[in-house]
Amino acid sequence: MSATPDEAPEPPVLRPLLPALLALFGIILLLNLISFAFGQAPLTTLRLALAGTWGTPYGIGQVLFKSTPLIFTALAFEIALRSGLFNIGAEGQVALGSLAGGVVGAHLPAGTPWPLAITICVLAAALTGAGVALIPAVMRARLGVHEIISTIMLNRIVEVLLPFLLVTVLGAAALRTVEVVPGAALLKLDAVFPALRGSAASVAFPLAVGLAFGVDALLRRTRRGREMRWIGINAAACRAEGIDVSRRLVQAMLLSGAIAGAAMVATVLGYKGYYELGLGAGAGFTGIAVALLGRGHPLGIVIAALLFGTLQQAGLAVNARVPKEAMDVLAAAVILLVAVANRAAAKPLTQVTPVVAPPAPASEEAAS
Amino acid sequence: MDAPVIRLDAVTRRFGDFTAVSAAEATLSPGEIHAIVGENGAGKSTLLKLAAGVLAPSAGRVLVGDDALSPATPAEAIRRGVGMVHQHFMLVAAFTALENLMLGAEPVRSWGRLDLASAREKAQAIADRTGLQVPLDAVTETLSVGERQRLEILRVLYRGARAILLDEPTAVLSPLEADELYTTLRALADDGATIAVVTHRLDEVARFADRVTVMRRGKVVLARPYARAGAGEIRGGDLTRAIMGGEPPLPFARPAMAKDAAIVLEIKGLSLTDAGGQRRLRAVDLTVRQGEIVGIAGIEGNGQSELVRALAGLEPGATGRVAVGDRDLSRLSVRARRASLGVVLEDRHEEGLCQEATVGDNLVLGDLGDRRDGAPAFDEAAAITRRMQRFDIHPADPARLAGELSGGNQQKIVIARALDRLPRGPRSAAVLAQPTRGVDVGAAAAIHAAIGEAAASGIAVVIISADLAELRKLAHRIVVMRRGEIVQSLSPEATETEIGRAMLGQEAA
Repeated sequence: MSATPDEAPEPPVLRPLLPALLALFGIILLLNLISFAFGQAPLTTLRLALAGTWGTPYGIGQVLFKSTPLIFTALAFEIALRSGLFNIGAEGQVALGSLAGGVVGAHLPAGTPWPLAITICVLAAALTGAGVALIPAVMRARLGVHEIISTIMLNRIVEVLLPFLLVTVLGAAALRTVEVVPGAALLKLDAVFPALRGSAASVAFPLAVGLAFGVDALLRRTRRGREMRWIGINAAACRAEGIDVSRRLVQAMLLSGAIAGAAMVATVLGYKGYYELGLGAGAGFTGIAVALLGRGHPLGIVIAALLFGTLQQAGLAVNARVPKEAMDVLAAAVILLVAVANRAAAKPLTQVTPVVAPPAPASEEAAS
Repeated sequence: MDAPVIRLDAVTRRFGDFTAVSAAEATLSPGEIHAIVGENGAGKSTLLKLAAGVLAPSAGRVLVGDDALSPATPAEAIRRGVGMVHQHFMLVAAFTALENLMLGAEPVRSWGRLDLASAREKAQAIADRTGLQVPLDAVTETLSVGERQRLEILRVLYRGARAILLDEPTAVLSPLEADELYTTLRALADDGATIAVVTHRLDEVARFADRVTVMRRGKVVLARPYARAGAGEIRGGDLTRAIMGGEPPLPFARPAMAKDAAIVLEIKGLSLTDAGGQRRLRAVDLTVRQGEIVGIAGIEGNGQSELVRALAGLEPGATGRVAVGDRDLSRLSVRARRASLGVVLEDRHEEGLCQEATVGDNLVLGDLGDRRDGAPAFDEAAAITRRMQRFDIHPADPARLAGELSGGNQQKIVIARALDRLPRGPRSAAVLAQPTRGVDVGAAAAIHAAIGEAAASGIAVVIISADLAELRKLAHRIVVMRRGEIVQSLSPEATETEIGRAMLGQEAA
């Protein structure tokens, strides 16, 4: 026992990348195993998946398009998380925000100039997303109702509210809204980069990347954002020092909801031109995984979103040979692998003896 | 079973790049109370945890009896008769005392049914033998701190330990409870048990220890027998010098205070009833003059915490008047109050610091956007630099995480934040709860100096402390709280026995 080897110095650069590399290796292996089970020769599915995503300009455009709403929802989750809140409600916030943006966009005067039209649509979507988030925010700040429960429940409510609204109030027969006015449609990226022709990627992607850095700046540099982070670390200390904790929590939740609502920029304004039931579904939950993989760094979130966007697009590319759900399996595996790899990387690799933790963490003054 | 000798043989323990304990030698023998002292971060707790198998050494050996402790786990240690009582109690609050006692070593009958009767019998037998009386059927969260501590020791004994290692057991106890604890430990040692205690209080070493090990920066710098009751080979000064690695700090000079100084802090009829209908504060009246330091003594749980929270504005249900200078604070928010009343709450981990935020962020927590009448906007960078320098916070790097600092420097952050913001003179007051709890001698001296300086500049200061020596050293006047009331006012020349009596509600003879 006394012969436990000293911890070897780690190469400083490789260490943080190790989890990502392990995860990448793991999903490649898993993809091969799955495709082998469907009777494919090794590496053919991988080749197909790569060709359908990063292999062509069109594929790249599609990856960017799929990633865009994920960046929004990941940022929404991130803001709440840093403030110590779990906003699981992005799903409902995206859906209702998209509906509101689509409806407003459709009812604008036909000749509305694009800067005005887009601003109004996005504002409508963001405000609606924030409105959805307001309910759990107030319930949490005033009554102490836990936001995980209230946001999950709200997702279900929105889920049934949407078809109801579409059919009754909006009188839509096809469970979709009318097309938005031309001014509200976002510029497609292929107008700037002709190589991306045909792909659905729009300027929403660079907007989302910009937003990622904007959110980071908010949390790091502004009073509001910093106080939100401090509350996420120790709300009791913040309360004792006179920070208005309830107000900041409500603000964080509203901002989170607004950003989730604005994800419709990518789906409605940048792609379809209208809202239909189910558009953007799943983005809310995937955004949680993206935010956790991104580890609080704006670039990390963008890269994680691109990874998940790649998997989604790859699913379509391989669908003829292997069911596209195989990519959902991979997405789930990524989360597990990264979680495991992170844990493993946090421990010294040379540790041989099992670490026996004391019954409860006596973390403070571990070194006294 | 005889109590084992625990020998640490050139033990080193590293956490990443940081060496917490470096080639330490120590022998814990049966029949002795062995005190381990040193500054925060000196490696005392780590040394104890190594001896108890809670941590595995990076190099060197821990011997229990003749054999190495292997594997180095708490389970193996307890099997060999070594048990540890942690600084933070490891009890399930919702369990009864008996259930906590048997947790992990439950006697069972057929079909896995718990054998409460035999557990109770065994526990009672140990309690009777050692005098560690705990109400076994009480729910643990209703027990007092002292009772919980006894329960922890009883649990270790119940598991068959003959060597008991305690990490800062008296930090949360009142002086009388601490004396009781040492009486029990003495009885156990006389009965042949091996006892080791990590402590910050040097008076305890002088009064109770048979042997002392002093640690500094991970190394054992002094290990000697220590005859009790002050007639020892090592005088207090030597001990302090060994701990600090130099001359002991200058004694604290209480700032002079004018007899007719103006009243600055005025508390009148402050009352508080908690959610359960319990009266926590009963019409507390207290006035503190310009430059005066008033110490509040009392057994923990007699309303001191509630008083501080009510003054800070954290108890919206409190009634009564609180004024600083001629400014009535009673109806103001926490934020509005702190401009003229600096508050340090008693638990810096729970309510003082954001450990995962930087030192700089912690130094200005709550100050962002502060704007005094006509003054320019709050200059954050200047405030951080000034506070770090004025309170000598080490390391002087605002980008470090607060959780990486030693307890003493963390406490300096909290105190700096409360005091630096206040305008000098007769318009400010400060209320500091447990300003040096769990803080090493050097940091405590620095904090005492800062408190003295604040008072000298005219700030009215209230200090609440479980450490009577600290109150007698700092305060111009000591008031005693009991059951939510201020029951007596004493001079700092009063003896600890006199203050202790007032705390317990015994009439002075």
